[in-house]
Amino acid sequence: MSFASLAIFLPLLAAPFVGFFGSPAQGALANLVLNGLVFLLSFAAFSSPGAGLIHADHLGLIFGTLTAFVSLTTAITNLGFVRADAQKQSARRWRVYHAMCQVLLGSTLLGFYADNIGLLWVAVEGATIAATLGVSLPRTASALEAAWKYFILGGTGIALALFGTMLVYLAAQPALGPGLQAMSFAALTQHGAQLDGSLLTLAFVFLLFGYGTKAALVPLHGWLPDAYAEGPAPLTTALSGLMLNVALIAILRFRHLMQANVAAGGSAMQPGPFLLTLGLASLLLTAFSLGRRRDSRRFFGFSSIEHSGIAVFAFGIGGAAAIFGGLLHMLLHTLIKSALFQALTRGAALRGSAAPGNYGFSHLRGMVHSNKTLAWVLGFAIFALTGLPPSGLFASEFIIISQTIQRVPAVSLPLGLGLVLCAIAIIRNIGPLIFGPAPAGTKPQKPGWDIHLATAHLALAFLAAFAMPWLLVRLLSNIASSLQ
Amino acid sequence: MTYSYIYQISHLLGGIILLCAFSLLSQRRLSAMIALYQIEAITLAAAALWQGFAQNAGDLYLTALITLVIKAILLPIGLRQIVQRFNLIRAVETAMPIGLSMILGVALIGIAVLVVLPTTLSAVSITREDLAISLSIVLLGFLVMTTRRNALAQVIGFLSTENGLVLAATGMPGMPFVAELSVALLVLLACLVLGVFLLRIREHFDSLDVSGIEEIERRGR
Repeated sequence: MSFASLAIFLPLLAAPFVGFFGSPAQGALANLVLNGLVFLLSFAAFSSPGAGLIHADHLGLIFGTLTAFVSLTTAITNLGFVRADAQKQSARRWRVYHAMCQVLLGSTLLGFYADNIGLLWVAVEGATIAATLGVSLPRTASALEAAWKYFILGGTGIALALFGTMLVYLAAQPALGPGLQAMSFAALTQHGAQLDGSLLTLAFVFLLFGYGTKAALVPLHGWLPDAYAEGPAPLTTALSGLMLNVALIAILRFRHLMQANVAAGGSAMQPGPFLLTLGLASLLLTAFSLGRRRDSRRFFGFSSIEHSGIAVFAFGIGGAAAIFGGLLHMLLHTLIKSALFQALTRGAALRGSAAPGNYGFSHLRGMVHSNKTLAWVLGFAIFALTGLPPSGLFASEFIIISQTIQRVPAVSLPLGLGLVLCAIAIIRNIGPLIFGPAPAGTKPQKPGWDIHLATAHLALAFLAAFAMPWLLVRLLSNIASSLQ
Repeated sequence: MTYSYIYQISHLLGGIILLCAFSLLSQRRLSAMIALYQIEAITLAAAALWQGFAQNAGDLYLTALITLVIKAILLPIGLRQIVQRFNLIRAVETAMPIGLSMILGVALIGIAVLVVLPTTLSAVSITREDLAISLSIVLLGFLVMTTRRNALAQVIGFLSTENGLVLAATGMPGMPFVAELSVALLVLLACLVLGVFLLRIREHFDSLDVSGIEEIERRGR
């Protein structure tokens, strides 16, 4: 068994044990240990990516490692979260919560490592079920409503994606014949030219809307702000990093199939315009709705929609440089957004409780009066989201914008407008949230050492953007040019 | 056995499923919707069996068996339990007039046929019409979900959508993992039905705390 498969199956097999035994504290500890093991395995997977159904390519491996890293830091902050809230939920719910964290981790890794469009679909489906159960755990009316919305929208997306998956299989019949080969990404990419172009186009529409639901592209984004705002905080932190990336990478891979077919003179349509439209729609809708959010987690949920849209937009521009920019954007956004949510959860905990409903901007304002360190980390994380220098996202957005001007100049104006509007909406919140007057009765408190995990995330994002190791640059640009 | 015979029977079964999916649009009572769904699932099991026979594929028999046992027997029992338990015998509120939704349904079937048939000219002919039928069923299921306000009715719409997907999967020539995919879908369905159960409890008792339910049971409802 390869290390890649081990990294997938370890959390999946451990989930039932975590789900049936142990106290909340033991569950959090087991969660941490498992995440640590998976983190090591995700590195080992580089040397043994597996073969056949689970055969990770470099793109999957890089994002798998990122996933494992974010899960690990989340699991560490989760210890404090569970300690503070252990009495507020029954032990059974905590067990389910920790089991769902494991299922989410395992199925996300499966989504990255699988070399099979059917397995990819199963991974997304499993992650959806786990995330929904997680969101519904607080059992409040709004949490159940959010979970139901997620389930219905996610289920619809999953159904569309399955139909698209079957159409891709059908499109591969002339080239690859019946059997497993016709479902393997590697084989499909190799025979991109011989695929049935018109069927592939039809399949792409279904896949784009199916996986687009999971990537929260407008108009399929409705579930995301609610799910972020109502679920238990660490699980949503994990959600933001993990699930969106699986769906975005799936879209990127299928886009490449179309592009390969077009380039070889097949009858598929250009995938670019579809992606550009959805990407711009997500960006602009976010730009106009960010200003009206009162709940901070909902606000940053909308910001995730924005960044998903930017990545899809970059994939739509096409060409190795734009895809490099899109992938870099996904990497950095995952790091920054999870740091932000970790800091936010800690901030809410300092103000009384990290349970859902305590994340209103008015409730959290003036964080500097609670703790200076935390306030600075939170402020930097929020500022990093705007994409202004010295945020890491500046690098990726710079690449994407310059590529847009070079390749599709007509859409560069709306892109710039959307980016600026989003940045303004985010900056407007920094002042009151960090330095504003605190609610009455706020006392200075200690945030705990693990807040510096968020600092580490931000530092990593900065390094990855401005001083990326040569090896990683080469890996990413190879991936980008092979997927252009 | 001639080729056209295989062809006609698989289309007949697909047609019956499509008819059931379409009739779901016209039903306002949950028990009638469940009955229609049950007929749909039984026909789907027969269709999977027939495809297994026609393609000589063993795992399609397994799909047929799973469909029959779980979707045609167990799920409807669960759904009827929910209907009885929460006394949902009245007609379900619809978001638009029945007539209008049926016209939309016809339009969707037309779209599905117009989209699928021209794009699949090169595909194996047995899959072409089957694919058009399954896409129609999928779209009709979505329409049911959008036109019903009741959570259970939405779930039945989703179940019907899912039948369309399995029908499409069984029609694909030699597709691997059909049985596995249908099991994965079933897990999703089971969670959905469970979700309705929890939601209904919430509406009734205003709290999902199991302790609350125990208290109500102790007091004898």
